[in-house]
Amino acid sequence: MFSSIPDVIERFARRHYICNRNIATVVYLASRLQKPILVEGPAGVGKTELAKVLAGALDRELIRLQCYEGLDESKALYEWEYAKQLLYTQILKDKIGEVIAGAPSLKEAVERVAAQDDVFFSERFIVPRPLLRAITAPAPVVLLIDEIDKADTEFEAFLLEVLSDFQVSVPELGTIKAKHVPLVVLTSNNAREMSDALKRRCLHLYIDFPDPEQERAIILLKVPGVAERLAREVAEVVQAIRKLDLKKAPSISETLDWTRALTLLNLDTLDAGLVDDTFSAILKYEGDIRKAQAEIKEHVAKARAAALAAPAGAPDANVRH
Amino acid sequence: MDETVIGFVGLLRRNGVRVSIAESMDTFHALDLVGLGTRAAVKDTLRATLVKRGADLPAYDRLFDLYFSGIGEIVKDAESRSRAALDLDPAEYQELIEALARFLEEQGIELSELARALLRQDSARLERLLRDAAKQAGVQRIERPFQEGQFAQGMQEALGVGGAARELQLIGDALGAGDPDPRRQRLSRFVERRLQELQEMIRRLIRGELEQRDLGQRDAARVQQLAEKSFYYLSEDEIRRMKEAVAKLAQRLKNVLAVKRRSARRGKFDVKDTLRKNLQYGGVPFKIRFDRRKRVKPQIVVLCDVSDSVRNVSRFMLQLVYSLQDLYSKVRSFIFVSDIGEITKLFEEHEIHQAIDQAIRGNVINVYAHSDFGRAFRTFHREHLAAITRHTTVIVLGDARNNYNLPHEWALREIKQRAKQLIWLNPESRMTWGFGDSEMDRYQPYCDVVEECRNLNQLYRVVDRIVVG
Repeated sequence: MFSSIPDVIERFARRHYICNRNIATVVYLASRLQKPILVEGPAGVGKTELAKVLAGALDRELIRLQCYEGLDESKALYEWEYAKQLLYTQILKDKIGEVIAGAPSLKEAVERVAAQDDVFFSERFIVPRPLLRAITAPAPVVLLIDEIDKADTEFEAFLLEVLSDFQVSVPELGTIKAKHVPLVVLTSNNAREMSDALKRRCLHLYIDFPDPEQERAIILLKVPGVAERLAREVAEVVQAIRKLDLKKAPSISETLDWTRALTLLNLDTLDAGLVDDTFSAILKYEGDIRKAQAEIKEHVAKARAAALAAPAGAPDANVRH
Repeated sequence: MDETVIGFVGLLRRNGVRVSIAESMDTFHALDLVGLGTRAAVKDTLRATLVKRGADLPAYDRLFDLYFSGIGEIVKDAESRSRAALDLDPAEYQELIEALARFLEEQGIELSELARALLRQDSARLERLLRDAAKQAGVQRIERPFQEGQFAQGMQEALGVGGAARELQLIGDALGAGDPDPRRQRLSRFVERRLQELQEMIRRLIRGELEQRDLGQRDAARVQQLAEKSFYYLSEDEIRRMKEAVAKLAQRLKNVLAVKRRSARRGKFDVKDTLRKNLQYGGVPFKIRFDRRKRVKPQIVVLCDVSDSVRNVSRFMLQLVYSLQDLYSKVRSFIFVSDIGEITKLFEEHEIHQAIDQAIRGNVINVYAHSDFGRAFRTFHREHLAAITRHTTVIVLGDARNNYNLPHEWALREIKQRAKQLIWLNPESRMTWGFGDSEMDRYQPYCDVVEECRNLNQLYRVVDRIVVG
């Protein structure tokens, strides 16, 4: 359990996750109030990562439920293993014969079988899915319900019971209550608006793209061996590109991919020629790339002018003596 | 603090942010945990517990700043303005205040609370006085800009500004307005300045209150959901947002259908059939049976009126149909005003928004003619009737305002006879159909479905029915 908000920031930082005060506050509150967190924001800002790091920081198991259209209870909660049940009936045929042996009437035989039927509807024949696993786990866990906006509204309604009471009902077995309340993180890309009922039960966290300073820090942390100057330039260019009207704005993970690519190519600064070739790492549409090219050329020119204007600056790493 | 938070929740609600009672209770628990240490922490805490929609965040930020910093900020601003007016740095300013205090003591001048707070630059006290006066004068009831004067008057009375002004006047006199000593001069300028600032503070406080109110009304108007808004009244900005909304809807519709098709293809696990089929193996389930059914993808022919009156709807209709292309086995689109032209090719060759722009800007047909549905249908019947087979759903989108030309409903009848179904979407309100030059009543008998389609929700429902049904 976290002891304070700075504690959250520190433990996250140890796991290479830079979070601002806002994120830390919500995480702290969620762990203290035992409320789920609903994380929204553009794709690729580290929503899923947040849950993973959270599990790591608290030293808990992470159970993940990936949502998609058509996800239903049998995929999320539990399922009866029909085939196994049928097989067992077959294998145990003789045993069943023994049970009903000597029954004076058909009715009596049915009664005897019925007396045994909870054998077949026991936990042995249940396949637990993520939700049930999270609830019945022997130690507290972090439950990640990823991309909840992709699931149907019916599933969302079903989730309400789980999230507010942390219990599920299996008709054949009764209600199963959580031994430990799991810490729940729901992520959404805003493909549709979540219902108010769900939102009411959650703490809300909106993660946006980081500011240039933060992005630079993330790059330095996540890409080993990156040049300080390159990190700054990449952060600036990516921020500028995000302001353009693009089909898909580059996310943090794409920024990192790009930086890794540039570092592999042994670059310490953004060189216009190679930038064009590596652009596909951050932009995934032809139209977007064309739009961004003009922007980046301008930026490179500006950066170069700035470097020239500062004569006392560090020696240009590109020039080999 | 409790009351302040409740007041803030009320303000959020007035501004269209939905906050339930459970949520405001969460807020109190959360504040207990986090404490009231820093402003940022309180802001983050309230945001996490009260604001659940990304779209509400900008409004929340503004309201928080307005509500929680209002008076403190105003008082601080006034101080820095007085200092700037006298051209002093903070240390000199502090000295000046102390010099004045010494002078007052020497002269044995007793001051009222307000005057003392003003001249001593006692921010906390000044803040409290202003807050009390605002409450007493009922400033939170202000609704219109012209009431500013009236409430300013009320606050001045509650504060006792008149008395304070007289006191300051006396001090000014005592300092000797005509005294050539520059230090004295400065002191009297300071006294004068503070009086002006007091008026300014009152004015700003009232304006801030008015702004909260105003923000409320502006946002409430915007909260009127985009999806429910008639296509006729969209602004530039809304058209852009609407494009995104249409794209999202299309994606969702597509996904839902993809799932339906997938499960229809694979079928559901069929317990009965499995048991029956496996009887031959002594009831041992070797073969699992699924329930399968075949579905045919619909073919679509869209006829879009692109005259001025319905251009927005046509745009979204075309966008939606084209985003959904892979759900149909074949889509052909035609646009008409009085001539009719096919734009299927245009769509294949260009990016969707570009294509739509070209189409409705008149690159295909003359879009500045007067609408003539009759002529358009006749031309379609003569030249493109072969496009329609018994698997085709024909969608006509138009307001049926025919400028009193011949309606030629026979052409529509024959189109319908060949097609699987004919759907007419009218972007006008149902009440106006058949009035003036609207020929809706004549065309209606030959349509399988006639729907009003004035906003995004209606458009979505209609398309949903076409694709699913």
